[in-house]
Amino acid sequence: MGDLFSADRLVEEFPKLIPYLIENLKVLLWATVFGVILGLLITGVRMKKIPILYQITVVYISFMRGTPMLVQLLLIYYGLPAFIDPILGTNISREWPPILFAYTTFILNQGAFLSSIFYGAIKGVPSGQFEAGLSVGMTKLQTFRRIIAPMAVRIALPPFGSDFVGVFHNASLVYVIGVVDIMGRAKSIGSATGHVLEAYVIVALLFIIFSMGARALFGFVGNKLDYANIKVR
Amino acid sequence: MQIDVKAIFESFVSGLTYLPKTLILILVPLSIGLVVGTSIALVRIYKVPVLSQFFAVFIPVYQGVPIVVALMVYNLIYLMKTNDVLKFFGSSKTIADIDSIYVGLFALSLMMICSISEVMRGALLSINKGQYEASYSVGMTKPQTLRKIILPQVISIAIPALINTTVGLIKSTSIVYAIGIAEILSGALVPSSRKYTFFEGYLAAAIIYWILTILIELLYSYLEKRTSIFKTGKTENKKLWSLKCWRSNTSEKALAEMKS
Repeated sequence: MGDLFSADRLVEEFPKLIPYLIENLKVLLWATVFGVILGLLITGVRMKKIPILYQITVVYISFMRGTPMLVQLLLIYYGLPAFIDPILGTNISREWPPILFAYTTFILNQGAFLSSIFYGAIKGVPSGQFEAGLSVGMTKLQTFRRIIAPMAVRIALPPFGSDFVGVFHNASLVYVIGVVDIMGRAKSIGSATGHVLEAYVIVALLFIIFSMGARALFGFVGNKLDYANIKVR
Repeated sequence: MQIDVKAIFESFVSGLTYLPKTLILILVPLSIGLVVGTSIALVRIYKVPVLSQFFAVFIPVYQGVPIVVALMVYNLIYLMKTNDVLKFFGSSKTIADIDSIYVGLFALSLMMICSISEVMRGALLSINKGQYEASYSVGMTKPQTLRKIILPQVISIAIPALINTTVGLIKSTSIVYAIGIAEILSGALVPSSRKYTFFEGYLAAAIIYWILTILIELLYSYLEKRTSIFKTGKTENKKLWSLKCWRSNTSEKALAEMKS
Protein backbone atom coordinates (compact mmCIF):
# COMPACT_ATOMS: atom_id res chain seq x y z
CA MET A 1 0.00 0.00 0.00
CA GLY A 2 3.08 2.18 -0.23
CA ASP A 3 2.76 5.51 1.47
CA LEU A 4 -0.60 4.82 3.08
CA PHE A 5 0.63 2.25 5.54
CA SER A 6 3.99 1.39 6.99
CA ALA A 7 4.88 -1.13 9.67
CA ASP A 8 7.58 1.17 11.09
CA ARG A 9 5.08 3.86 11.93
CA LEU A 10 2.79 1.22 13.40
CA VAL A 11 5.47 0.18 15.90
CA GLU A 12 6.50 3.76 16.53
CA GLU A 13 3.00 5.03 17.33
CA PHE A 14 2.00 2.13 19.54
CA PRO A 15 3.50 3.48 22.80
CA LYS A 16 2.15 6.95 22.02
CA LEU A 17 -1.43 5.69 21.90
CA ILE A 18 -1.57 3.15 24.72
CA PRO A 19 -1.74 5.65 27.64
CA TYR A 20 -4.83 7.27 26.15
CA LEU A 21 -6.80 4.03 26.36
CA ILE A 22 -7.07 4.83 30.10
CA GLU A 23 -9.60 7.57 29.27
CA ASN A 24 -11.88 5.05 27.54
CA LEU A 25 -11.47 2.60 30.41
CA LYS A 26 -12.36 5.35 32.89
CA VAL A 27 -15.57 6.02 30.98
CA LEU A 28 -16.28 2.29 30.97
CA LEU A 29 -15.64 2.01 34.72
CA TRP A 30 -17.83 4.97 35.67
CA ALA A 31 -20.58 3.87 33.32
CA THR A 32 -20.58 0.34 34.73
CA VAL A 33 -20.35 1.16 38.45
CA PHE A 34 -22.85 4.01 38.55
CA GLY A 35 -24.91 2.54 35.73
CA VAL A 36 -25.47 -0.59 37.84
CA ILE A 37 -26.59 1.55 40.78
CA LEU A 38 -28.93 3.64 38.63
CA GLY A 39 -30.13 0.52 36.84
CA LEU A 40 -30.99 -1.18 40.14
CA LEU A 41 -32.91 1.90 41.30
CA ILE A 42 -34.90 1.99 38.05
CA THR A 43 -35.53 -1.76 38.29
CA GLY A 44 -36.87 -1.21 41.81
CA VAL A 45 -39.24 1.47 40.54
CA ARG A 46 -40.42 -0.83 37.76
CA MET A 47 -40.89 -3.85 40.04
CA LYS A 48 -42.84 -1.87 42.67
CA LYS A 49 -44.73 0.08 39.98
CA ILE A 50 -44.39 3.33 41.96
CA PRO A 51 -46.93 5.71 40.30
CA ILE A 52 -45.54 8.72 38.29
CA LEU A 53 -41.93 7.50 38.68
CA TYR A 54 -42.87 4.33 36.81
CA GLN A 55 -44.23 6.27 33.83
CA ILE A 56 -41.13 8.45 33.83
CA THR A 57 -38.85 5.41 33.70
CA VAL A 58 -40.83 3.93 30.79
CA VAL A 59 -40.30 7.09 28.72
CA TYR A 60 -36.71 7.43 29.92
CA ILE A 61 -35.77 3.86 28.96
CA SER A 62 -37.48 4.19 25.59
CA PHE A 63 -35.60 7.42 24.87
CA MET A 64 -32.22 6.01 25.89
CA ARG A 65 -32.79 2.85 23.86
CA GLY A 66 -34.14 4.70 20.85
CA THR A 67 -31.59 7.43 20.29
CA PRO A 68 -27.97 7.11 19.19
CA MET A 69 -25.20 7.39 21.73
CA LEU A 70 -23.59 10.09 19.59
CA VAL A 71 -26.73 12.24 19.79
CA GLN A 72 -27.11 11.65 23.54
CA LEU A 73 -23.51 12.63 24.10
CA LEU A 74 -23.89 15.90 22.20
CA LEU A 75 -27.30 16.53 23.74
CA ILE A 76 -25.84 16.33 27.25
CA TYR A 77 -22.80 18.34 26.21
CA TYR A 78 -24.90 21.23 24.96
CA GLY A 79 -27.97 20.71 27.12
CA LEU A 80 -26.66 20.08 30.63
CA PRO A 81 -25.25 23.61 31.05
CA ALA A 82 -28.61 25.04 30.02
CA PHE A 83 -30.34 23.17 32.85
CA ILE A 84 -27.77 23.28 35.60
CA ASP A 85 -26.30 26.77 35.21
CA PRO A 86 -29.48 28.75 36.01
CA ILE A 87 -30.10 26.62 39.13
CA LEU A 88 -26.61 26.52 40.59
CA GLY A 89 -25.35 29.75 39.09
CA THR A 90 -22.32 27.99 37.62
CA ASN A 91 -20.86 27.95 34.15
CA ILE A 92 -20.17 24.25 33.73
CA SER A 93 -19.58 24.33 29.99
CA ARG A 94 -16.37 26.23 30.81
CA GLU A 95 -15.61 24.76 34.23
CA TRP A 96 -16.17 21.06 33.62
CA PRO A 97 -13.64 19.09 31.61
CA PRO A 98 -15.39 17.37 28.67
CA ILE A 99 -14.91 13.93 30.21
CA LEU A 100 -17.40 14.78 32.97
CA PHE A 101 -20.06 15.22 30.30
CA ALA A 102 -19.04 11.85 28.90
CA TYR A 103 -19.39 10.23 32.33
CA THR A 104 -22.84 11.79 32.79
CA THR A 105 -24.08 10.58 29.42
CA PHE A 106 -22.74 7.07 29.81
CA ILE A 107 -24.12 6.69 33.34
CA LEU A 108 -27.58 7.88 32.24
CA ASN A 109 -27.46 5.61 29.18
CA GLN A 110 -26.25 2.57 31.10
CA GLY A 111 -28.84 3.09 33.82
CA ALA A 112 -31.55 2.59 31.21
CA PHE A 113 -29.90 -0.36 29.42
CA LEU A 114 -28.87 -2.20 32.59
CA SER A 115 -32.28 -1.70 34.17
CA SER A 116 -33.92 -3.47 31.23
CA ILE A 117 -31.39 -6.30 31.58
CA PHE A 118 -31.98 -6.60 35.34
CA TYR A 119 -35.74 -6.34 35.00
CA GLY A 120 -35.81 -9.01 32.32
CA ALA A 121 -33.58 -11.27 34.42
CA ILE A 122 -35.76 -10.98 37.53
CA LYS A 123 -38.89 -11.58 35.44
CA GLY A 124 -37.10 -14.52 33.83
CA VAL A 125 -37.00 -16.45 37.11
CA PRO A 126 -40.13 -18.65 37.16
CA SER A 127 -42.73 -17.30 39.61
CA GLY A 128 -43.01 -20.76 41.18
CA GLN A 129 -39.59 -20.16 42.71
CA PHE A 130 -40.90 -17.13 44.57
CA GLU A 131 -43.99 -18.98 45.76
CA ALA A 132 -41.88 -21.94 46.86
CA GLY A 133 -39.66 -19.62 48.88
CA LEU A 134 -42.67 -18.07 50.61
CA SER A 135 -44.23 -21.46 51.26
CA VAL A 136 -41.25 -22.69 53.28
CA GLY A 137 -41.63 -19.67 55.55
CA MET A 138 -39.09 -17.22 54.13
CA THR A 139 -39.97 -13.54 54.13
CA LYS A 140 -40.27 -11.73 50.80
CA LEU A 141 -36.85 -10.14 51.25
CA GLN A 142 -35.23 -13.47 52.14
CA THR A 143 -36.82 -15.15 49.15
CA PHE A 144 -35.54 -12.42 46.89
CA ARG A 145 -32.04 -12.46 48.33
CA ARG A 146 -31.57 -16.23 48.62
CA ILE A 147 -33.65 -17.64 45.77
CA ILE A 148 -34.44 -15.04 43.11
CA ALA A 149 -31.31 -12.87 43.04
CA PRO A 150 -28.76 -15.69 42.47
CA MET A 151 -30.79 -17.03 39.56
CA ALA A 152 -31.39 -13.56 38.16
CA VAL A 153 -27.64 -12.85 38.23
CA ARG A 154 -27.06 -15.99 36.20
CA ILE A 155 -29.67 -14.92 33.64
CA ALA A 156 -28.41 -11.34 33.48
CA LEU A 157 -24.76 -12.20 32.99
CA PRO A 158 -24.62 -12.89 29.21
CA PRO A 159 -26.53 -9.72 28.21
CA PHE A 160 -24.54 -7.76 30.79
CA GLY A 161 -21.35 -8.99 29.15
CA SER A 162 -22.35 -7.94 25.67
CA ASP A 163 -23.59 -4.62 27.02
CA PHE A 164 -20.21 -4.13 28.72
CA VAL A 165 -18.40 -4.66 25.42
CA GLY A 166 -20.93 -2.38 23.69
CA VAL A 167 -20.24 0.43 26.17
CA PHE A 168 -16.54 0.09 25.55
CA HIS A 169 -17.16 0.39 21.81
CA ASN A 170 -19.38 3.42 22.35
CA ALA A 171 -16.72 4.96 24.56
CA SER A 172 -14.70 5.47 21.36
CA LEU A 173 -17.20 8.25 20.52
CA VAL A 174 -16.25 10.54 23.39
CA TYR A 175 -13.69 12.26 21.17
CA VAL A 176 -16.54 14.17 19.46
CA ILE A 177 -17.03 16.33 22.58
CA GLY A 178 -13.32 16.99 22.86
CA VAL A 179 -12.13 14.30 25.26
CA VAL A 180 -8.59 13.32 24.30
CA ASP A 181 -9.10 9.58 24.39
CA ILE A 182 -7.45 7.01 22.15
CA MET A 183 -9.45 8.13 19.11
CA GLY A 184 -8.77 11.79 19.81
CA ARG A 185 -5.07 11.02 20.14
CA ALA A 186 -5.11 9.01 16.90
CA LYS A 187 -6.63 12.00 15.17
CA SER A 188 -4.07 14.41 16.57
CA ILE A 189 -1.23 12.09 15.56
CA GLY A 190 -2.80 12.00 12.12
CA SER A 191 -2.92 15.75 11.75
CA ALA A 192 0.63 16.11 13.09
CA THR A 193 2.26 13.52 10.83
CA GLY A 194 -0.16 13.25 7.95
CA HIS A 195 -0.38 9.49 8.44
CA VAL A 196 -3.43 8.47 10.41
CA LEU A 197 -4.16 4.96 9.13
CA GLU A 198 -1.56 3.27 11.35
CA ALA A 199 -2.99 4.96 14.42
CA TYR A 200 -6.50 3.77 13.55
CA VAL A 201 -5.23 0.24 12.95
CA ILE A 202 -3.65 0.27 16.42
CA VAL A 203 -6.91 1.53 17.92
CA ALA A 204 -8.82 -1.23 16.13
CA LEU A 205 -6.35 -3.87 17.36
CA LEU A 206 -6.60 -2.67 20.96
CA PHE A 207 -10.38 -2.71 20.79
CA ILE A 208 -10.38 -6.22 19.29
CA ILE A 209 -8.08 -7.54 22.02
CA PHE A 210 -10.11 -5.92 24.77
CA SER A 211 -13.51 -7.02 23.44
CA MET A 212 -12.43 -10.60 22.89
CA GLY A 213 -10.84 -10.68 26.32
CA ALA A 214 -13.98 -9.31 27.97
CA ARG A 215 -16.19 -11.78 26.07
CA ALA A 216 -13.98 -14.70 27.09
CA LEU A 217 -14.03 -13.55 30.72
CA PHE A 218 -17.81 -13.24 30.80
CA GLY A 219 -18.17 -16.61 29.09
CA PHE A 220 -15.89 -18.17 31.72
CA VAL A 221 -17.76 -16.61 34.65
CA GLY A 222 -21.07 -17.59 33.04
CA ASN A 223 -19.99 -21.23 32.85
CA LYS A 224 -18.81 -21.13 36.47
CA LEU A 225 -22.21 -19.87 37.58
CA ASP A 226 -24.14 -22.41 35.53
CA TYR A 227 -25.02 -24.49 38.60
CA ALA A 228 -28.67 -24.83 37.59
CA ASN A 229 -27.92 -26.81 34.46
CA ILE A 230 -25.26 -29.02 35.99
CA LYS A 231 -27.59 -30.29 38.69
CA VAL A 232 -30.51 -30.97 36.38
CA ARG A 233 -28.36 -33.26 34.31
CA MET B 1 -30.09 29.99 27.87
CA GLN B 2 -33.70 29.42 26.97
CA ILE B 3 -34.87 26.52 24.83
CA ASP B 4 -36.07 27.82 21.51
CA VAL B 5 -39.11 25.74 20.51
CA LYS B 6 -39.22 27.28 17.08
CA ALA B 7 -35.62 26.23 16.46
CA ILE B 8 -36.46 22.66 17.46
CA PHE B 9 -39.26 22.61 14.92
CA GLU B 10 -37.04 24.13 12.24
CA SER B 11 -34.32 21.55 12.89
CA PHE B 12 -36.91 18.79 12.94
CA VAL B 13 -38.18 19.71 9.48
CA SER B 14 -34.65 20.16 8.18
CA GLY B 15 -33.67 16.78 9.58
CA LEU B 16 -36.72 15.09 8.05
CA THR B 17 -35.67 16.20 4.56
CA TYR B 18 -32.66 13.92 4.99
CA LEU B 19 -34.83 10.96 6.04
CA PRO B 20 -34.48 9.20 2.64
CA LYS B 21 -30.68 9.14 3.03
CA THR B 22 -30.98 7.59 6.48
CA LEU B 23 -33.55 5.10 5.19
CA ILE B 24 -31.08 4.01 2.50
CA LEU B 25 -28.43 3.69 5.20
CA ILE B 26 -30.82 1.46 7.17
CA LEU B 27 -32.48 -0.65 4.47
CA VAL B 28 -29.48 -1.53 2.30
CA PRO B 29 -27.26 -2.81 5.14
CA LEU B 30 -30.26 -4.58 6.69
CA SER B 31 -31.14 -6.48 3.50
CA ILE B 32 -27.51 -7.30 2.73
CA GLY B 33 -27.03 -8.36 6.33
CA LEU B 34 -30.09 -10.61 6.31
CA VAL B 35 -29.13 -12.39 3.09
CA VAL B 36 -25.37 -12.68 3.58
CA GLY B 37 -25.58 -13.07 7.36
CA THR B 38 -28.02 -15.97 7.11
CA SER B 39 -25.85 -17.62 4.46
CA ILE B 40 -22.79 -17.30 6.69
CA ALA B 41 -24.75 -18.76 9.60
CA LEU B 42 -25.73 -21.72 7.41
CA VAL B 43 -22.13 -22.15 6.24
CA ARG B 44 -21.06 -22.33 9.86
CA ILE B 45 -23.89 -24.66 10.89
CA TYR B 46 -23.25 -27.11 8.05
CA LYS B 47 -19.48 -26.78 8.72
CA VAL B 48 -18.47 -26.07 5.13
CA PRO B 49 -14.68 -26.61 5.16
CA VAL B 50 -12.34 -23.56 5.00
CA LEU B 51 -15.20 -21.05 4.84
CA SER B 52 -16.64 -21.98 8.20
CA GLN B 53 -13.22 -21.81 9.88
CA PHE B 54 -12.58 -18.46 8.24
CA PHE B 55 -15.85 -16.96 9.49
CA ALA B 56 -15.40 -18.49 12.94
CA VAL B 57 -12.27 -16.35 13.27
CA PHE B 58 -13.29 -13.32 11.22
CA ILE B 59 -16.67 -12.58 12.81
CA PRO B 60 -15.63 -12.39 16.48
CA VAL B 61 -12.56 -10.36 15.48
CA TYR B 62 -14.52 -7.94 13.33
CA GLN B 63 -17.14 -7.53 16.04
CA GLY B 64 -14.36 -6.26 18.28
CA VAL B 65 -13.90 -3.16 16.14
CA PRO B 66 -16.12 -0.19 17.01
CA ILE B 67 -18.09 1.04 14.01
CA VAL B 68 -16.61 4.52 14.26
CA VAL B 69 -13.03 3.19 13.98
CA ALA B 70 -13.98 0.95 11.05
CA LEU B 71 -15.68 3.87 9.35
CA MET B 72 -12.62 6.09 9.78
CA VAL B 73 -10.34 3.43 8.28
CA TYR B 74 -12.60 2.83 5.27
CA ASN B 75 -13.04 6.54 4.73
CA LEU B 76 -9.29 7.05 4.76
CA ILE B 77 -8.69 4.27 2.26
CA TYR B 78 -11.53 5.65 0.15
CA LEU B 79 -10.06 9.14 0.16
CA MET B 80 -6.53 7.99 -0.62
CA LYS B 81 -7.09 5.18 -3.06
CA THR B 82 -10.27 5.81 -5.06
CA ASN B 83 -8.55 7.87 -7.72
CA ASP B 84 -5.84 5.23 -8.21
CA VAL B 85 -8.40 2.44 -8.48
CA LEU B 86 -10.47 4.41 -10.98
CA LYS B 87 -7.37 5.16 -13.03
CA PHE B 88 -6.43 1.49 -12.94
CA PHE B 89 -9.76 0.58 -14.49
CA GLY B 90 -9.33 3.28 -17.09
CA SER B 91 -12.29 5.32 -15.89
CA SER B 92 -12.28 9.06 -16.49
CA LYS B 93 -14.22 9.68 -13.26
CA THR B 94 -12.57 11.06 -10.13
CA ILE B 95 -13.40 10.80 -6.45
CA ALA B 96 -15.66 13.83 -6.77
CA ASP B 97 -18.05 11.81 -8.93
CA ILE B 98 -18.47 9.07 -6.35
CA ASP B 99 -20.85 9.59 -3.46
CA SER B 100 -19.20 8.97 -0.09
CA ILE B 101 -22.42 7.30 1.10
CA TYR B 102 -20.96 4.06 -0.30
CA VAL B 103 -18.33 4.11 2.41
CA GLY B 104 -21.06 4.34 5.04
CA LEU B 105 -23.07 1.61 3.32
CA PHE B 106 -20.03 -0.63 3.17
CA ALA B 107 -19.13 -0.20 6.84
CA LEU B 108 -22.71 -0.61 8.06
CA SER B 109 -23.33 -3.63 5.81
CA LEU B 110 -20.25 -5.39 7.11
CA MET B 111 -21.34 -4.66 10.67
CA MET B 112 -24.83 -6.00 9.97
CA ILE B 113 -23.53 -9.13 8.23
CA CYS B 114 -21.50 -9.98 11.31
CA SER B 115 -24.21 -9.31 13.87
CA ILE B 116 -27.05 -10.94 11.90
CA SER B 117 -24.95 -14.02 11.19
CA GLU B 118 -24.38 -14.40 14.93
CA VAL B 119 -28.11 -13.95 15.64
CA MET B 120 -29.06 -16.49 12.99
CA ARG B 121 -26.42 -18.96 14.12
CA GLY B 122 -27.71 -18.74 17.68
CA ALA B 123 -31.26 -19.31 16.47
CA LEU B 124 -30.22 -22.23 14.25
CA LEU B 125 -28.31 -23.84 17.12
CA SER B 126 -31.34 -23.58 19.37
CA ILE B 127 -33.38 -25.80 17.04
CA ASN B 128 -33.64 -29.36 18.26
CA LYS B 129 -31.68 -31.90 16.25
CA GLY B 130 -34.80 -34.06 16.21
CA GLN B 131 -36.40 -31.55 13.83
CA TYR B 132 -33.74 -32.27 11.20
CA GLU B 133 -33.86 -36.01 11.80
CA ALA B 134 -37.64 -36.12 11.65
CA SER B 135 -37.78 -34.32 8.32
CA TYR B 136 -34.98 -36.45 6.84
CA SER B 137 -36.85 -39.52 8.00
CA VAL B 138 -39.96 -38.53 6.07
CA GLY B 139 -37.77 -38.24 2.96
CA MET B 140 -37.18 -34.50 2.69
CA THR B 141 -33.96 -33.31 1.10
CA LYS B 142 -31.59 -30.90 2.87
CA PRO B 143 -32.90 -27.77 1.12
CA GLN B 144 -36.50 -28.85 1.71
CA THR B 145 -35.84 -29.43 5.41
CA LEU B 146 -34.25 -26.04 5.66
CA ARG B 147 -37.00 -24.19 3.86
CA LYS B 148 -40.06 -25.94 5.24
CA ILE B 149 -39.04 -27.00 8.73
CA ILE B 150 -36.00 -25.16 10.03
CA LEU B 151 -36.15 -21.59 8.70
CA PRO B 152 -39.77 -20.87 9.78
CA GLN B 153 -38.83 -21.81 13.33
CA VAL B 154 -35.55 -19.92 13.15
CA ILE B 155 -37.24 -16.72 12.04
CA SER B 156 -39.64 -16.67 14.96
CA ILE B 157 -36.81 -17.37 17.40
CA ALA B 158 -34.54 -14.75 15.84
CA ILE B 159 -37.05 -11.89 15.72
CA PRO B 160 -36.44 -10.42 19.20
CA ALA B 161 -32.69 -10.37 18.56
CA LEU B 162 -33.28 -8.91 15.10
CA ILE B 163 -35.22 -6.05 16.71
CA ASN B 164 -32.17 -5.21 18.76
CA THR B 165 -29.79 -5.41 15.80
CA THR B 166 -32.02 -3.20 13.67
CA VAL B 167 -32.38 -0.64 16.44
CA GLY B 168 -28.62 -0.77 16.81
CA LEU B 169 -28.28 -0.15 13.08
CA ILE B 170 -30.60 2.87 13.18
CA LYS B 171 -28.49 4.31 15.96
CA SER B 172 -25.25 3.52 14.14
CA THR B 173 -26.38 5.41 11.03
CA SER B 174 -25.86 8.63 13.01
CA ILE B 175 -22.15 7.83 13.21
CA VAL B 176 -21.61 8.28 9.46
CA TYR B 177 -22.06 11.96 10.31
CA ALA B 178 -18.44 11.76 11.51
CA ILE B 179 -17.20 11.21 7.95
CA GLY B 180 -19.39 13.93 6.52
CA ILE B 181 -22.24 12.01 4.92
CA ALA B 182 -25.43 14.08 4.99
CA GLU B 183 -28.15 12.29 7.00
CA ILE B 184 -30.68 13.13 9.71
CA LEU B 185 -28.17 14.35 12.28
CA SER B 186 -26.30 16.68 9.95
CA GLY B 187 -29.63 17.76 8.43
CA ALA B 188 -30.99 18.75 11.82
CA LEU B 189 -27.86 20.77 12.46
CA VAL B 190 -28.17 22.91 9.33
CA PRO B 191 -30.34 25.58 11.02
CA SER B 192 -28.36 25.16 14.27
CA SER B 193 -25.05 26.21 12.86
CA ARG B 194 -26.68 29.33 11.49
CA LYS B 195 -28.32 30.41 14.74
CA TYR B 196 -26.12 28.62 17.26
CA THR B 197 -29.02 26.54 18.57
CA PHE B 198 -27.10 23.27 18.82
CA PHE B 199 -29.04 21.86 21.75
CA GLU B 200 -32.30 22.29 19.85
CA GLY B 201 -30.76 20.70 16.75
CA TYR B 202 -29.58 17.62 18.60
CA LEU B 203 -32.92 17.38 20.40
CA ALA B 204 -34.75 17.42 17.07
CA ALA B 205 -32.43 14.72 15.71
CA ALA B 206 -32.97 12.64 18.85
CA ILE B 207 -36.74 12.90 18.42
CA ILE B 208 -36.54 11.71 14.80
CA TYR B 209 -34.38 8.73 15.76
CA TRP B 210 -36.69 7.97 18.65
CA ILE B 211 -39.73 7.91 16.36
CA LEU B 212 -37.89 5.67 13.88
CA THR B 213 -36.95 3.20 16.60
CA ILE B 214 -40.46 3.10 18.01
CA LEU B 215 -41.85 2.44 14.52
CA ILE B 216 -39.40 -0.42 13.98
CA GLU B 217 -40.30 -1.90 17.35
CA LEU B 218 -44.01 -1.72 16.52
CA LEU B 219 -43.37 -3.41 13.17
CA TYR B 220 -41.41 -6.18 14.78
CA SER B 221 -43.93 -6.80 17.54
CA TYR B 222 -46.49 -7.22 14.76
CA LEU B 223 -44.13 -9.62 12.96
CA GLU B 224 -43.52 -11.49 16.17
CA LYS B 225 -47.24 -12.08 16.57
CA ARG B 226 -47.52 -13.30 13.01
CA THR B 227 -44.58 -15.68 13.26
CA SER B 228 -45.24 -16.96 16.78
CA ILE B 229 -47.38 -19.60 15.11
CA PHE B 230 -44.16 -21.36 14.11
CA LYS B 231 -42.75 -21.50 17.60
CA THR B 232 -42.23 -25.08 18.74
CA GLY B 233 -44.21 -26.10 21.75
CA LYS B 234 -45.21 -22.56 22.60
CA THR B 235 -48.24 -22.15 20.38
CA GLU B 236 -51.21 -21.79 22.62
CA ASN B 237 -54.69 -22.51 21.39
CA LYS B 238 -55.80 -18.98 22.15
CA LYS B 239 -53.12 -17.53 19.91
CA LEU B 240 -54.13 -19.82 17.08
CA TRP B 241 -57.72 -18.70 17.41
CA SER B 242 -56.78 -15.06 17.19
CA LEU B 243 -54.60 -15.75 14.17
CA LYS B 244 -57.23 -17.55 12.14
CA CYS B 245 -56.59 -15.39 9.12
CA TRP B 246 -52.98 -16.42 8.89
CA ARG B 247 -52.48 -18.57 5.81
CA SER B 248 -55.70 -20.45 5.26
CA ASN B 249 -54.34 -24.00 5.28
CA THR B 250 -52.30 -23.44 8.42
CA SER B 251 -55.26 -22.20 10.42
CA GLU B 252 -57.54 -24.88 9.01
CA LYS B 253 -55.12 -27.53 10.14
CA ALA B 254 -54.84 -25.89 13.51
CA LEU B 255 -58.60 -25.70 13.88
CA ALA B 256 -58.94 -29.33 12.89
CA GLU B 257 -56.32 -30.20 15.51
CA MET B 258 -58.11 -28.30 18.19
CA LYS B 259 -61.45 -29.94 17.44
CA SER B 260 -60.01 -33.43 17.60
